Amino acid sequence: MNRLLHTAAAAVLALSASFASGATRLQGAGSTFVAPMMQRWVTEYQKQLPDVQIDYQSIGSGGGIKAFIEKTVDFGASDAPLNKKEFSQAGGEAAVVQVPVIAGAVVPAYNLPEFRGELRLDGPTLADIFLGKIKNWNDPRIGALNPGAPLPSLGITPAHRTDGSGTTFIFTNYLATQSQEFKDRVGAAKQVEWPGGSGGKGNEGVTQVVESTPGAIGYIELAYALQNKVPFAVMKNADGQFVKATSDSASAAGEQAVRRMDANNAAPLWNQHGPNVYPISGFVYVFVRKDLSYMQDKPKAQSVAAFLMWATHDGQQLASQLDYAPLSAAVQARAAKALSQLNWSGSALTSALR
Amino acid sequence: MWMGCIACAAIILGVLALVLWYLISIGRQSVNLAFFAQDPQPYGADGYPGGMRNALVGTAILVGLASAVGVPVGILGGVYLSEYRTRAWLTETVRFTADVLAGVPSIVVGILGYELLVVPLGHFNGWAGALALAFIMIPIVTRTTEEMLHLIPGSYREASIALGATKARTIVRVVLPAATGGLITGVMLALARVAGETAPLLFTALGSRLLTFDPRYPFPSLTKQIYDYATGPYAEQKQQAWAGILILIVLIFSFNLLVRLFTRPRQFRA
Amino acid sequence: MSSTAAPASSKGVASESPHHSSFRTARHRRAYRSDKILEVVATGSATALLLLLGALVAVLVYAAVPSFRTFGLAFLVHSEWRPNELERFKRDAQGQIVKDQDGEPVTETIPPAFGALPVIYGTAVSSAISLTFAVPFSLGCALFLVRIAPRSTAKPVSFLIEFLVAIPSIAYGIWGLYILAPFLQQHVEPPLNAVFVSVPGLHWLGSDATTGRDLFCGSLVLAIMVIPIITAVSRDVLRAVPRAQIEGTTALGATWWQTSREMLRYSRSGLFGAIMLGLARAAGETMAVAMVIGNVNQVRPSPFAAAQTMSSLLANEFAEASSDLHRAALLEVALVLLVMSLLFNVVARWLVVGGGQASGAGGH
Repeated sequence: MNRLLHTAAAAVLALSASFASGATRLQGAGSTFVAPMMQRWVTEYQKQLPDVQIDYQSIGSGGGIKAFIEKTVDFGASDAPLNKKEFSQAGGEAAVVQVPVIAGAVVPAYNLPEFRGELRLDGPTLADIFLGKIKNWNDPRIGALNPGAPLPSLGITPAHRTDGSGTTFIFTNYLATQSQEFKDRVGAAKQVEWPGGSGGKGNEGVTQVVESTPGAIGYIELAYALQNKVPFAVMKNADGQFVKATSDSASAAGEQAVRRMDANNAAPLWNQHGPNVYPISGFVYVFVRKDLSYMQDKPKAQSVAAFLMWATHDGQQLASQLDYAPLSAAVQARAAKALSQLNWSGSALTSALR
Repeated sequence: MWMGCIACAAIILGVLALVLWYLISIGRQSVNLAFFAQDPQPYGADGYPGGMRNALVGTAILVGLASAVGVPVGILGGVYLSEYRTRAWLTETVRFTADVLAGVPSIVVGILGYELLVVPLGHFNGWAGALALAFIMIPIVTRTTEEMLHLIPGSYREASIALGATKARTIVRVVLPAATGGLITGVMLALARVAGETAPLLFTALGSRLLTFDPRYPFPSLTKQIYDYATGPYAEQKQQAWAGILILIVLIFSFNLLVRLFTRPRQFRA
Repeated sequence: MSSTAAPASSKGVASESPHHSSFRTARHRRAYRSDKILEVVATGSATALLLLLGALVAVLVYAAVPSFRTFGLAFLVHSEWRPNELERFKRDAQGQIVKDQDGEPVTETIPPAFGALPVIYGTAVSSAISLTFAVPFSLGCALFLVRIAPRSTAKPVSFLIEFLVAIPSIAYGIWGLYILAPFLQQHVEPPLNAVFVSVPGLHWLGSDATTGRDLFCGSLVLAIMVIPIITAVSRDVLRAVPRAQIEGTTALGATWWQTSREMLRYSRSGLFGAIMLGLARAAGETMAVAMVIGNVNQVRPSPFAAAQTMSSLLANEFAEASSDLHRAALLEVALVLLVMSLLFNVVARWLVVGGGQASGAGGH
């Protein structure tokens, strides 16, 4: 009996250890906004380098930032850039590399069973819907934007995120530029107090709420709307043009980005001017520590740097397949410059790769 | 009025039938070989949606690790309550605590696991999940062990002592073997309960889309994967969730059935 | 954790005295040592249970301290749950924007505010509604099992009901999300809502939108989940009513229902205990509720409004609480939940065990 227990224990330890030493395992977490793209990158990258296993946990931007600060993941992803407080919790702006990896569009997806055609909305109306001031789809303000399209009398259920979300960050920041009352009452952040409506966890959860609730309207990333064939509204941009969210219109929003980028490569993409610019767009940022020697595993640190470099360059070719907006060349250059700062106790990790 | 009572029972069973019928019928369509043999694939990749092999293995490992801790502690605790009871206040308090612990919401157990085992270690890990499950198992196994040991007649123990055995020998060689059926019952009930838990794993093991045997990192589990898929929008993943639920229910049902089979032939005349 | 010194003090089984003549051999000394080891290990395991409970309470209290300090007891009655700061223009009493000497608007930053009232309300009301539905069915079914059903029927029915307890919460959640919620949303809530809205005095029960993901759906799912528990315990409690009591009542000419009522009255403390166990489960239930309750931290009187319970709040927000204060507030909510469920369990145990003993039935 003792022998059996000893052997069993040894076997378990051996199994455990063998899987620890073989493949390099990277852990990332955060934004659900980028999850479809990230999953695709991971699959493609692992095809090329089967020894590297990357696990990305889609837990929301807030979770990604928290995990990054606490060093429970190797890289975090978020549609909201780190704020001052989060930078200082992570060890200061000098200790962190923050790069945009992709851009995307946040769309107001809706569920109107008898409605045909494309719904048109503008910022102030959308804000009032989410403030609970417009309660029914047959409200004249919505009708004014959609002349000739009959709207049913159906209660509006705004669907929002329950978790800490970069998508919420982008959406609320946009609405804050459109409605002073929204800015005062709800504010712009990753997690806000929504007046009423229905909550879902992750982009996945909100998509599901919208799909299953007639009269619902929720803010989700474009890829989720397209993959699940959920109709979404066409938005009026800062120039008064009604623009449908696509990979191109989100890219158009990103064109101006480099000029607006701060020292940490963060730039707001919402409410931009320009032809065919979609107004509710945003970057997804990835953060890593600049000095990766804390990982105590040099191959792993090299893999992190290599993966991120690949994703921001070669990986961009996959972007439009999934209806994300690839980074413009100027932004890619900035990303490469930032990633070149990744080092192992001072010696650069990325020089060997490019 | 008695018709009302029959109606109550009928309605309850009717609802049970409704719930089970729904889960079985949607699950049946999605259970196939791929479900057991493949790991999850993301949308758009080849082989989407894949299967839930990693989650099945993950739950098996988590429950196994939880039992490795929970079963010995639970059985020994039950042995104390039944055989030793050296101090009355301790015995009463432990018994009370076991009952009370059995009613703690499992999400609070998950939070404890997070604070004690995830934060200090630096990342979500399977060990935290397994130990959170063990936390839930221990009170159940303790109490059922105590109850089962109480059913063993005192004459067994007296005969053993009369033959010169020490107390420890009596317990290990006489009492516990005699109660084996009942002990297994208790363990299986605890296993069935723990295999179906989701909340304690939400922020301890977190979950993973990879097949992994390393509990030092985020670890997949059937229940968490079902939850993720069911609350998401992707139709194929939702079907996988139904299949997973069916497997889970079949598992739990068989455990409960086996428990019934075990308890019947081993009833002792007190 | 040390075992007792004098072996004679352990009840039931006497252990060997170390002064026995045969103790001089090594074999006997080894046997005595293993005796001690098992005793120590068993006592240790039992004590581990105390440590588990202690650790649970200690960790939660310790980690919730920042929340205690910031909000105090008012935490339990405030209804704002806002994890973000609000930066807005400062306004004076007339609502005009305040400007500084340069004519620029002054901004103020409102810090995050956390109040547990919405989730306490959600837990309390969902549990209460679920019990309102569950208790009559459970007691009816328990009476059926004890008084009406023949042995051959009672056994399989009991087994099925106990199997209902074992069904994982997530299974109920999925059923609730994909079957019950749409059913309520299409067929039940609109007509009920119309009735509420039109009847004067009841219109506060009405709601603007009836999505099926609300307090009502959550309560129904909870009801289905607690019925088996209440039924199982009530059945055991009712079975323990002495035959003499039942026969005596019948002999006095009581009808079937009058006798049953008498049984219920006799074992009422045990039945209360059963109900409390159901309540404890309802209050602590997480996954099924999180999937159908709507997940909005608000206090609305309508059962068709989305809500949040303490456990669904934790499931939704704990993994990525955005600040230390947010996490402390969540931990304080967890502490309230723990205390509440401990209280229910303690009272239930006291009622079921104590009540059972008082009415002459056996201990367990």
